[in-house]
Amino acid sequence: MNKTALILGVSGQDGAYLARLLLEKGYRVVGASRDASMSSFGNLVKLGIRDKVETESVSSTDFRSVLQVLKKAEPDEVYNLAGQSSVGLSFDQPMETYESISVGTLNLLEAIRMLEMKVRFYNAGSSECFGNTDGQRATESTPFRPRSPYAVAKAAAFWQVANYREAYGIFACSGLLFNHESPLRPPRFVTQKIVREACDIKRGKQSVMNLGDISVKRDWGWAPEYVEAMWLMLQQEKADDYIIATGHTYSLEDMVDTVFSSLDMNWRDYVVLNPAFLRPTDIKSSLADPGKAERELGWKAQHSMKEVAAMMVKKYIEETAN
Amino acid sequence: MKKALITGVTGQDGAYLAELLLEKGYEVHGIKRRTSLFNTDRIDHLYQGPHEQGRRFILHHGDMTDSSSLIHILQKVMPDEVYNLAAQSHVAVSFEEPEYTANSDALGALRILEAIRTIGLAEKTRYYQASTSELYGKVREVPQTEKTPFYPRSPYAAAKLYAYWITVNYREAYGMYACNGILFNHESPLRGETFVTRKITRALSRIALGLKERLYLGNLDAKRDWGHARDYVEMQWLMLQQDAPEDFVIATGKQYSVRDFVNSAAAELGITMKWRGTGVEERGIVDHVKKLDDKQYDATLHVQPGDVIVEVDPHYFRPTEVETLLGDPAKAREELGWTPKISFEELVSEMVQHDMEETRRDSMCQDEGFRVNTYNE
Repeated sequence: MNKTALILGVSGQDGAYLARLLLEKGYRVVGASRDASMSSFGNLVKLGIRDKVETESVSSTDFRSVLQVLKKAEPDEVYNLAGQSSVGLSFDQPMETYESISVGTLNLLEAIRMLEMKVRFYNAGSSECFGNTDGQRATESTPFRPRSPYAVAKAAAFWQVANYREAYGIFACSGLLFNHESPLRPPRFVTQKIVREACDIKRGKQSVMNLGDISVKRDWGWAPEYVEAMWLMLQQEKADDYIIATGHTYSLEDMVDTVFSSLDMNWRDYVVLNPAFLRPTDIKSSLADPGKAERELGWKAQHSMKEVAAMMVKKYIEETAN
Repeated sequence: MKKALITGVTGQDGAYLAELLLEKGYEVHGIKRRTSLFNTDRIDHLYQGPHEQGRRFILHHGDMTDSSSLIHILQKVMPDEVYNLAAQSHVAVSFEEPEYTANSDALGALRILEAIRTIGLAEKTRYYQASTSELYGKVREVPQTEKTPFYPRSPYAAAKLYAYWITVNYREAYGMYACNGILFNHESPLRGETFVTRKITRALSRIALGLKERLYLGNLDAKRDWGHARDYVEMQWLMLQQDAPEDFVIATGKQYSVRDFVNSAAAELGITMKWRGTGVEERGIVDHVKKLDDKQYDATLHVQPGDVIVEVDPHYFRPTEVETLLGDPAKAREELGWTPKISFEELVSEMVQHDMEETRRDSMCQDEGFRVNTYNE
């Protein structure tokens, strides 16, 4: 019998790659989006799997909606990737951010509990929960110090997941994923913005690039391999939480330099540092120790930041060639 | 005259804080929820009618789940200080109403912080967030300080975790004077009747006077750091009077089990307890009853040695228990000079005396043939 997976947030970057991975593994994949009839599922189309994914309209902040899709899809595995996903936007929409992330997670946990379903539940946690780690590499036991409404909401959701696992024995895991990028990243995320605008500068369609703080440091990985870690977490004997990262941290300046250099340009000739792009509070440096995932899941990132940047540049040039 | 706005003014802390701020000369505004039943008995002694001259205690209808009501009240009051004490505050109930708990406790705090910004009060208004020792949950170190990492163990604690960090974030992101008081358990005669301390003092009083036979409790081994709410609200005020906003643990630094609390409350009534059996079979039995000459109880106790008056009911166990909480109030002592004045024994004594008085009133009414409200959970 084929397993069924339900993916909430299937129209996003991770949802699309995860759907492709699970289809390859022989799963029946049900994908949920807020309004399935209005969504173009552009990412599923790009990956060529739009017609292989059954889609449903689900709003995870609406309990009935969550209950219905669980009953209808009868999943073995549920992946909750839905929710407002931009740190920057969370300062402007703190309420919506909390509701879509934290109330959404709570509704899923409650519905699973109520239906007494034997499902395995994956919840998208975030490295943003750690905040500044004072130069230490974050492990699964590093205390949270969230620095944005997005991160605070993700921290609350993380503990809800832990509590439902401990209180009711639900197989529920959080993946604390550090930044993970791909050609499917929307341009409001800084990596994609840099890739696209640098390419446009190269072609003479744009003259300068505005950026905020380029001294911030992040651990950037390749999204298509991060979704494998999500799946692996649900194949273990015991539910647990894992950090998923490359273990290598670069500054945003390094990333900018990589992208411009790959296009034979010097970023200093084009980048304008604009304080309007600064966040009220930002994370200075994000450092990860992904050792537990390697030891217990046998998962290790294969692609470095430089490869990720190169693949994104290549894809964007291909896509916009004509 | 400074103006303060208290959310949750009808609760235990709200009542003590309102009293304290009125004594200090504040104009005090409180937000209460609209309910079918009266819910102001804790603050009725402070009430000032709308026709009184120069009144300094004013109540507004509002709700933590309604942004527009909060914005409206803040706009009208323009307070110097906001104390956010409103919450679904019962840990056990949060397992039954997790979404409501998240809405009022987590989003409620965000709504107030946002309302303060929206009205342009971010630089003027100081904000106090009622945080809780439940954040420590499955404790990672003993005792717990401001630096101890959190490990929430209930929907209540997860919601309060959000409120804690969003308060920190608004301080860091927008420079607001916003701080958290991480309060360990704090009790008083005004404590809600379903919280374990009040449940014990109330039940033992009723057992002593023959209005009730037995007290059913959950985890007798749970250890808590219990202080008096009157001491703790002083610290809430102090936290808003500093040069810079900071978070503080508020605790006594001493720990007792639920069983210890029963023993102390019983002793206050002259009853010595003995405990037999273990786990769900454990029972609290009257070992000895002493005549109390020096107390005001002026009543015959209806208990005798051998009576089983306490039993364990697993119904009160929680899906995930918090076994032990012990706070280290060193920072509050060293930086703000705060120490709790009321001891554990004095706290228990005050609560028992208060509940005995209520029980005697009920007992007398009943003897005279009047109907007495016997509130149950």
